[in-house]
Amino acid sequence: MKLLEQTPSKYDRGMRILTLGRIDRIKHEVASRWVEPGHHVLEVGCGTGTLAALMCARGAKVVGIDISEEMLVEARKNVPETELIHMTATEIDRLGTSRFDRIVATLSFSELSEDELDLVLHLSSGLLKPGGKLVVADEVPPRRRWARLLACLVRWPLAAVTLLLTQNTTRSLKKAEESFESAGFEIVCRKDYLLGTLSLIVAERKQC
Amino acid sequence: MLNLLKDMWLLFGRLFPFPTKPGLRRAGNPGRYSPVLVTCNFELTVRKVLQTLKRGGIDAWLLVAPTKGINVWCAAGGGHFTTDTVVSIIKTSGIKNLVDHRELILPQLSAVGVNIWALRERTGWKPRFGPVYIEHMAAYLQYEGKPPEKELRRVGFPLRDRFVMGTNLGFNSLLFFALPFLIGSIWVSGLWWKSIPLLFLLAVLNSVLVFWLPGKPGVQKGGALGLIVSAAFVLLSQTIWAMGPWETLGWMGWIILLATYLGYDLPSWSPLWRADVKELLLGVRNTRVEVIQGQCIGCGLCEIVCPAGVFELDSNDRKSMVVRLDACQACGACIENCPKEAIVNNFRSGVCSCPTCFVINSIKSTNKDKLATGKT
Repeated sequence: MKLLEQTPSKYDRGMRILTLGRIDRIKHEVASRWVEPGHHVLEVGCGTGTLAALMCARGAKVVGIDISEEMLVEARKNVPETELIHMTATEIDRLGTSRFDRIVATLSFSELSEDELDLVLHLSSGLLKPGGKLVVADEVPPRRRWARLLACLVRWPLAAVTLLLTQNTTRSLKKAEESFESAGFEIVCRKDYLLGTLSLIVAERKQC
Repeated sequence: MLNLLKDMWLLFGRLFPFPTKPGLRRAGNPGRYSPVLVTCNFELTVRKVLQTLKRGGIDAWLLVAPTKGINVWCAAGGGHFTTDTVVSIIKTSGIKNLVDHRELILPQLSAVGVNIWALRERTGWKPRFGPVYIEHMAAYLQYEGKPPEKELRRVGFPLRDRFVMGTNLGFNSLLFFALPFLIGSIWVSGLWWKSIPLLFLLAVLNSVLVFWLPGKPGVQKGGALGLIVSAAFVLLSQTIWAMGPWETLGWMGWIILLATYLGYDLPSWSPLWRADVKELLLGVRNTRVEVIQGQCIGCGLCEIVCPAGVFELDSNDRKSMVVRLDACQACGACIENCPKEAIVNNFRSGVCSCPTCFVINSIKSTNKDKLATGKT
């Protein structure tokens, strides 16, 4: 998503097209079903703040972090009431401990390397209050074989074009379940979209 | 066989990212006081760094940062090797538990994307920029804590690099031209198979002979090479191949055209010249870098990070001065790392300006300008 990321004002429109409009639906679901009024929410990779705005409207207190200063400039205009911080996902331990009811990440965990994802999940565990939940929506490899094949056929030409234009590729969140599991999370809800190429995963810390 | 193919690809297809797993590597047998180095996760670079350290008998920790499989300089210019990237690798590698010091040596060319002051503040580590080439690491480590000697801070374009980059230029151009050549063979017989070796030959000659060709880097040097090679071609076509006059003329034009194009593209493969479209086509150089003397505190970091030796500290008041503006490649490393924002320029910092990135950068710049002026 690098090309889109470099142009924040086009980012949301681009993501809407690439996910055939599903991302808006997912964001609404995250805000209305998984976030309650009064919740303290951390959004990892808040982008232009579209989801943060929905969660704020629901009455949640949101802290948004993003790696891109350009995105944050845009987000500050869209959700001035939110605390927005320029920081990498691997630094979230600087935000404290047991502070959030929800940690939310849409289309941002797939940008992390394997090691980064493991660390971020581990740190998230320390940031969540007891009973807190991790809500992740991201591109994933489909679970059904025929859907994986179809996704591959669409993905390769798309990846080739992206690579030529941006020297970068789009990635999907691989082995999400294993990573969540090994960081001590238990998946409590999973919903697939677009033939299973897009997933909404809700996890919570395993009870010892 | 697969390894050979991979090596061939790594040799010729350098334009394309080739990632290796980011993380911690050990060079030799590092201990708690061994130096900690950082590099990109372009496979060829990691391999070369580890080999060179081993050959030099250096025991060190190597942090392979997640730069999306792109080499140090391009990744730093393209926003993939930044302060954030280094923060991330320091944390994920767990290096702080393995050493009893907090000194970090970054590749000098990463200065385009990494701000040393912000990195220090965010991590508590003491980062500094090492030499440009890993071969100079042994010499660099001898001068403990001191910035590298001048000659270790400059990029060069020796014969071996020129040959390698020439072949890459040829291979990359071939990817773009293979199809047009094939279509062209419908009208001109043999265009396809004759043009491919010609393209490689002209690319390698353009690169290898670049210092000896007349004119400015870009279309001028490329055009000059085209004229020389086409003159040699006329000689051969008339004496050995006995070609007709029209055919000879056609091939002459083709040689000049290809050589000129390759000359235009060469600077983006060289570490010495700025790949600016206007400059390459018209020979107009409009790069401007100035030091605001009142703001300069004489830390000397601009002098350390500049791979072209543009800055020097005044021996009297220890303020930075621009002494070789002509050599500036507009990489932006000085601007990224100046702690007092005392360096001004007329290009944007931390952006790769090669023709390949040109389209993306123009989209980016329009947007950034809008952001800067507050318009939407």
